[in-house]
Amino acid sequence: MLEKLSHILFSSRVLLPDLLFGVVFLVIVAAIAFSQKLDAERTYVLFNVLIISVLISIGFVFYAFFGFYKQYFESGSVLFGQLIYLDSVSLFFKLIISIASVAVLIHVWVVGYKVVGEFYAIFMALVWGLFIMTMTTNWLMLYVSLEMVSICSYILVVFNKGKNNSEAGIKYLLFGATSSAIMLYGISLLYGMTGTLNFVGQEFATFLGQNPTWIAQIAVFMTIGGLLFKLSAVPFHSWTPDVYEATPTPIVAFLSIAPKAAVVLVLIRLFSSLSIDFRMIMAIIIMASITIGNLSALWQTNTKRMLGYSTIAHAGFMLVGLLATNTIGVQSTIFYIATYLFITLAAFLLIDLLALKTESYELESLRGLGQENIFLGLAAVIIMIALVGLPPTVGFTGKLLLFTALWESYQTSGSNMLLIVLIFGLLNTAISIFYYIKIPYFMIFKEPKIGVRYYQIGFIRKGFLLIFLFFIIYLFMRPSGLINLIESLKLA
Amino acid sequence: MNNFLLSTLIFLPLAGSVMVLLLPSTYRDSFRWISLIVSVINLLNIFTLYNNFDRQLSDYQFVEQHEWIRMSLGNLGVLSIDYFLGVDGINMPMVLLSGIVLLIGSIASFTIEYRQKAYHSLYLLLSGSVIGCFAALDFFLFFLFFEFMLLPMYFLIGIWGGERREYAAIKFFIYTLVGSIFILIVMIGLSMSVQDSFFSQEMGGTVHTFDFRQLTDFKNYIPHSLLHPIEKQMIFGVSARYFAFVLLIVGFGIKLPSVPFHTWLPDAHVEAPTPVSVVLAGILLKVGAYGFIRIAYGFFPDIAYQFTYIVAGAGVISIIYGAYNALAQEDLKKMIAYSSISHMGFVLLGLASMTVEGVNGAIYQMFGHGLVSAMLFLVAGVIYDRTHNRLIENFRGLSSVMPYFTLAVTVAFFGALGLPTLPGFMGEFFTIMGGFQSEILPDWVSMLAMLGIVLSAGYFLWTLQKMFFGTFWANRNQEENMKDLDFREIVMLYSLAALSIIFGIFPSLIFDISGESVKAFLNGF
Repeated sequence: MLEKLSHILFSSRVLLPDLLFGVVFLVIVAAIAFSQKLDAERTYVLFNVLIISVLISIGFVFYAFFGFYKQYFESGSVLFGQLIYLDSVSLFFKLIISIASVAVLIHVWVVGYKVVGEFYAIFMALVWGLFIMTMTTNWLMLYVSLEMVSICSYILVVFNKGKNNSEAGIKYLLFGATSSAIMLYGISLLYGMTGTLNFVGQEFATFLGQNPTWIAQIAVFMTIGGLLFKLSAVPFHSWTPDVYEATPTPIVAFLSIAPKAAVVLVLIRLFSSLSIDFRMIMAIIIMASITIGNLSALWQTNTKRMLGYSTIAHAGFMLVGLLATNTIGVQSTIFYIATYLFITLAAFLLIDLLALKTESYELESLRGLGQENIFLGLAAVIIMIALVGLPPTVGFTGKLLLFTALWESYQTSGSNMLLIVLIFGLLNTAISIFYYIKIPYFMIFKEPKIGVRYYQIGFIRKGFLLIFLFFIIYLFMRPSGLINLIESLKLA
Repeated sequence: MNNFLLSTLIFLPLAGSVMVLLLPSTYRDSFRWISLIVSVINLLNIFTLYNNFDRQLSDYQFVEQHEWIRMSLGNLGVLSIDYFLGVDGINMPMVLLSGIVLLIGSIASFTIEYRQKAYHSLYLLLSGSVIGCFAALDFFLFFLFFEFMLLPMYFLIGIWGGERREYAAIKFFIYTLVGSIFILIVMIGLSMSVQDSFFSQEMGGTVHTFDFRQLTDFKNYIPHSLLHPIEKQMIFGVSARYFAFVLLIVGFGIKLPSVPFHTWLPDAHVEAPTPVSVVLAGILLKVGAYGFIRIAYGFFPDIAYQFTYIVAGAGVISIIYGAYNALAQEDLKKMIAYSSISHMGFVLLGLASMTVEGVNGAIYQMFGHGLVSAMLFLVAGVIYDRTHNRLIENFRGLSSVMPYFTLAVTVAFFGALGLPTLPGFMGEFFTIMGGFQSEILPDWVSMLAMLGIVLSAGYFLWTLQKMFFGTFWANRNQEENMKDLDFREIVMLYSLAALSIIFGIFPSLIFDISGESVKAFLNGF
C-alpha cells in the first residue's frame, strides 16, 4: 500500500507540469462558469490570463526538459503503473503541441475572431488530451486520450454556428466515431492476441509475432485506423476537406499540426516494437495519401479546401520516415513535423490575413492582393514553396532528410517497394507545385478587378507572420540546432 | 588562395536585390541604374577573375570553402554540406559569359516600365543565383542555386511576358521542376554512396559529402553502396548507375533543352520579354549543358561511355529537328528559339565524342551561342518594340531604313549560322571534328550534324533576305515606326557584335582556359 502510494506521489512529481495544466484548466472552467455576464472587455482580459497560463505551463515543460528531472527523461520513466510513459521524446512533442497552441491562440487574437469563453476551456482540454497522448504506451490510456481529443475537436469544429459548419461537424463526428469503433475493435483483437495493454514491451512483440502475419496485420491496421483518422491519411481522410472548409481557420491550423504530431509519436512507438512486417501496408497508405491529396488539390478553387487536401499529402510524407524503419527515418519524421509546424501555421495565418480583406477563401478573390501588399505576396511565395519543399525553405530540408532516410533504408534492405515510394513521393512534389503556386499566382499575376488599392496590414499581424517566415528560412540555413536537439532525444 | 571574389559575384546582386526591394517606390527611376551598376561591377570583377586565372592549372582556382551544414545521421555518419565555390576551365567561360550577358540584359531592361521595383529585384536575384550555380562546387549548393533560378524566372516570364505568359511560365516551371527532382534523386543517391575519405578517417565515421572533387573520385565510394561503380548493384535487374545517369540525362536534358524535352522553350521564349529571353537563351540553357558536363559525365564516366549513342543521338536529333522547325516558323522569335535548340545540340554531340576537341568545342559552343543568341533575341526585341509584331512576312527591305540595325543583324545571323571568324563556326567546327575523331561514334553521326549547319544557313539567310532586302514595306502601315537603332540598342548590339568577332577570331581566349581542365577531365574516362 505504502509502496503504491509512494509510486503515485513520485509519478505526480514527475508529471507536475501536466497536473498544473489540469489545475489551470479547472480554474478556467470555474472562471467561465462564473463570468457569464461579463462584458467583452473582461473576456479579453480572461483570454490574456489564459495565454499567459499556457505559456507558463510550456515554460515549465521546457524547464523540465533541460534538467530538472533530467534523469527520469533520459531513459524514460514508467509512471502510474504503466499507464504513463514519459521520456524526452514526449517532451519534445509536447513542446511542438505547446508552440502550436500558443500560436493558434495568438492567431485568434491577432485576426480578431470573436470567441466565447467556452472556447478556451475546450481548447485547453484538447491540448491536455494531446499531452496525454504523447506520453502513453497503454492502449486504454491511448484510447481515452484520443477520445478526449476527438470530442473536443468535434465541438470546436462547430463553434461558429453556420449551415456548412454543422454539416462538416456531423461528417467529422460520424467518421470519427466510426474510426474510433474500428480502432477499439482492433485493440480488442490485439489484446486477445498478446494479453497485454502495453504496446512497447517485449511481451507485446513476442506474442504478436506468434500469430499468423495477415491476421496480425489486419488487427494492427484496424488499430491504427483511429490514429490515421486524426492524421487524415488515406483511407480515413474523407472528412478533411469539408471540415477544413467550414471550420474557423485557427482551429483548422491547430488540427493540421498538433493532433498529427501526437499521432505520429504514437505510431513511432508502436512501430518500434512491431514484430510483424507492416511495410507493405504502410507503403500503400503513404502512396495513396500523397497521390489522392495532391491530385484532388489540383481541382480546388477554395484555398482552405486546397490546404485540406494538401495536409492529406503531407500526412503521407510524415509517414515516409516510419516506412524507412531506421533511426534516421524516425529522426527525420520528427524534424519534418517540427518544421511543418511553422509552415502550416504560417499558411493558415496567411490565408486568414488575406480573407480579412476579401472576406472569402476563394482563389478567385485573391486577385491582385500581392500587388496591393507586396509583403503578403512575398510571404505567399515563401510559404507555398516551403509547402512544395523547394529551397531555400525548411520544407526542402525536411523532405531531403526523409528521402535520404528512405534511400538508406533501400540500400540496406534492397526492397524495391521503398524505391517506388521514393520516386513516387518526389514526382508528387512536382505535381504539388501546380496547385500551391496558384495562390501566389492569383495574388501577383492577376489584376485586381477594381484597380490596385493599397492594402495595409497592421504591425502586429505582419510581425506575427514574420516570425513564422523567419523560422522557415532560418531553419533551412542553420538546421543543425534543431537536428542536434532531435538527436539528443532517446528513441526507443 | 583565399579571397572572396566569387562570393562577391554572388552576393553583390543579392544585396542589390534586397536594396531595390527596400527602397521606397519614389526612387523608381533609380532601380534600373542599381541593376546596371551591379552588373558592371560584376563584369569588372569577372574580368579580374579571368585575368588572374592560371591557364596552366587544371585544378579548381579561387576556391572558397566554408563548413555550412553538418547533419548527423545517427549510425549512418554525418552529412556534410559545404559552402564551396571555385572555378576551373569548364566553368570559368560560363562565369565570364554570365557576366557579359547579364550586363547586356540589364541594359535591355531599361525599356521595362511596368512595376520596375519587382522586376529589377527579381532580375538581380536571378543574376546572383545564375553565377552561384556556375561557381558552386558542392552538389547541394549547386542544386540550391539551380532551384533558386526557377522562381525569379517564373515571375519574370509570368508578369512581364506576352499574351500567353501565364501558360508559358507555368509550363517552364513544371518542366524544370520535374527535371530538378530527377537531379535531386541522384544527388541523394550519390551523397549516400560517397564518403569524404579524409574526414571519415579523421572523425572515425562515415562523412557523406556533396563535394564535387570527392564525387568524381571512385576511391571514395563506400563499399556495397548502391551507386558503387565496380560492385554493380541492381535495380530491377539493371545497374543502379544506369538509372542515375538516365535521370541526369532527363533532368539536364530538360534544361538544355534537348529533343524530346524541348517543348517548353519556344513557349517560354516567345512570351518572355526581351531581356529575359536574352538571359534565358544566353545563360540558363548553358546551366543544363554545364550540368551535363560536370555532373552527368563527371560523376558517371563509366556509364557515359556506354550511353554515347544516346547522348550523341539526342544531340543530332536536336540539331536537325530544331533546324527543320526553325525553317517552318513564321514568328521571328520562335525561329530563333528553335535555332537555339538546334545549336545546343552541338554541345551534346561534342560531349558525346569524348575527345579533347569535342569537349573543348562544346564549351566554346556554349560560350559562343551565349553571345550570339543574346544578340538574336535583342534583334527580335528591336523589331517587336517598334511594331508589337514579330511575323517575318510583315517586313521587307528593312535595310534601306535601318542600316545600322541591318549590320548588327547580319553579324548575328552569320555568327549563328557558322561563318568563319564568328563564334558559331569555331564551336560547330570543333564539335564536329571531335565527332569524326571519336573512336566510339560512327562518322555518319557527325555528317548528319553537318546537315544541321546547312539547314541553319537556310533559315537564317532566308529570313535575312525576306526581311531586310528588297523594297521597303511593313505591314499594317508601320512604315513610319521603323526607325533605326537608338543609342542604347547600338551599345548592346555592337558590343556583343564586337565580342563575337573578337572571340571568333581568337578562340584561344576560351580554349586556353578550358584546355588543361578538359584534358584532366577526359583522363578520368
